[in-house]
Amino acid sequence: MGWLTGRRARLIGDYPPISAALSSAGAELCTDGACDILLHCAEMAMVRPLHEMSHAQWRHALDQGLDQRFFEAKAFADQCREAGKGGSIIFIGWPEHDRGSAQAAAVGALGNLTKTLAVEWARDGIRVNTVLTASHAATLGHLVAYLASDYAAYVTGAVMGIGMDDL
Amino acid sequence: MPVPDHHIVAEPPPFDKPPYPSDIFARQVVLVTGGGSGMGLAMAQAFAQGGASVAVVGRSLERAQEGAATIEAIGGKTHAISCDVRKADKVAAAFDEAERALGPVSLLANNAGANFPVLAEAISVNAWNAVTRIAIDGTFLCSSEFVRRRIAQGHGGAIVNNSAQYIWTGFPGDAHSAAAKTAQATMTRAMAREWAGYGIRVNAVAAGFFPHAASTRGDGNDAIEPLQNMIPAGRTGRIREFGWLAALTCSPLFSGMTGQVIVQDGGESLRRSLMMPDFIPPRERANGPWGWQ
Repeated sequence: MGWLTGRRARLIGDYPPISAALSSAGAELCTDGACDILLHCAEMAMVRPLHEMSHAQWRHALDQGLDQRFFEAKAFADQCREAGKGGSIIFIGWPEHDRGSAQAAAVGALGNLTKTLAVEWARDGIRVNTVLTASHAATLGHLVAYLASDYAAYVTGAVMGIGMDDL
Repeated sequence: MPVPDHHIVAEPPPFDKPPYPSDIFARQVVLVTGGGSGMGLAMAQAFAQGGASVAVVGRSLERAQEGAATIEAIGGKTHAISCDVRKADKVAAAFDEAERALGPVSLLANNAGANFPVLAEAISVNAWNAVTRIAIDGTFLCSSEFVRRRIAQGHGGAIVNNSAQYIWTGFPGDAHSAAAKTAQATMTRAMAREWAGYGIRVNAVAAGFFPHAASTRGDGNDAIEPLQNMIPAGRTGRIREFGWLAALTCSPLFSGMTGQVIVQDGGESLRRSLMMPDFIPPRERANGPWGWQ
């Protein structure tokens, strides 16, 4: 449908429905260099009872689910500002109740990080949104492609799911 | 106040470039309540751009017909119907009429609503009932009528509700609409759960400010310009982007989506600052309860 024709998208994490949808929407997938779209997918979080979790395991979950996302987003926004053009950031993760307490903490933080970055970077033309879902079907790819595109130019700071158990 | 030149303001593609092919809703019939003007008309046009036949429903037949005329102008099949969505028998009759004219209704857009700024203590019983029952009872009556028919026909379907960005915060000067729009959003989740087994999806758009000719202050430049700079995105919404998102939630592209309330407000509902302007009670605002009239 050409939603993303001429746009370069960097996808961190391996979510096949997303890369397929981005490509079919006309985006060029890239691994480094200047890009217009940053998508950050969470890795599969390790689920274990909280009282059996070490601090290192807890830290790893927060690092993957929150810290790395912030640092990647910050670098992307710097690059957008330097280039003098806007961009779109989309965080993709699991529903907060889905993968254990450490992941829940990371995702809760991510939701409010999304809303905060959306306001801080609004006038840089950088939109920030989050999709939290256990679904990896085609709808996820289409939703992400939509959020990355100019059709979603008025959607920023939004946190959404896909299935009824997501949010 | 104008947005400074060095700020980047993203715009959606033009009206003639909808985000889906012109046959994505082929053989589908959508019933849009309050479809004769404003946000309902934007939904109706978006569905028509995807090839749906559109039943334009409104309290006023004349306004519904005006809306239907704009659908015809872009090549859509349409039929205008007068209906008070607060009355179950009228709702059933509207579905009957839509089906006679266009075929079985397979998609529903609950948009009918009324809204006007008024202090809570000045809301009359009639005003409260009008605003809340059009949105709450109207959404219930239209959705349940729609779903009973879909179940009887053995087919799934999709519903989209027009909710509002102030459902998380309330809206001083708008107690009736704040209550009603939040009821719609929570109904969206409950209905999605109840009807998932029938293949019926229910989603909502929590819409920000999308000026149109029938807005409280219209959509002229003098009405919009003072509002542009207060919104993080640097502009008010373009009504086509609301219509397109509403239609997308009902499209096969989003066939896995249900129970979602998607905020589309350019960041308007988000907190901007720890420090806020001095609080003036809505009652004491010189220029009305919404503060900008």
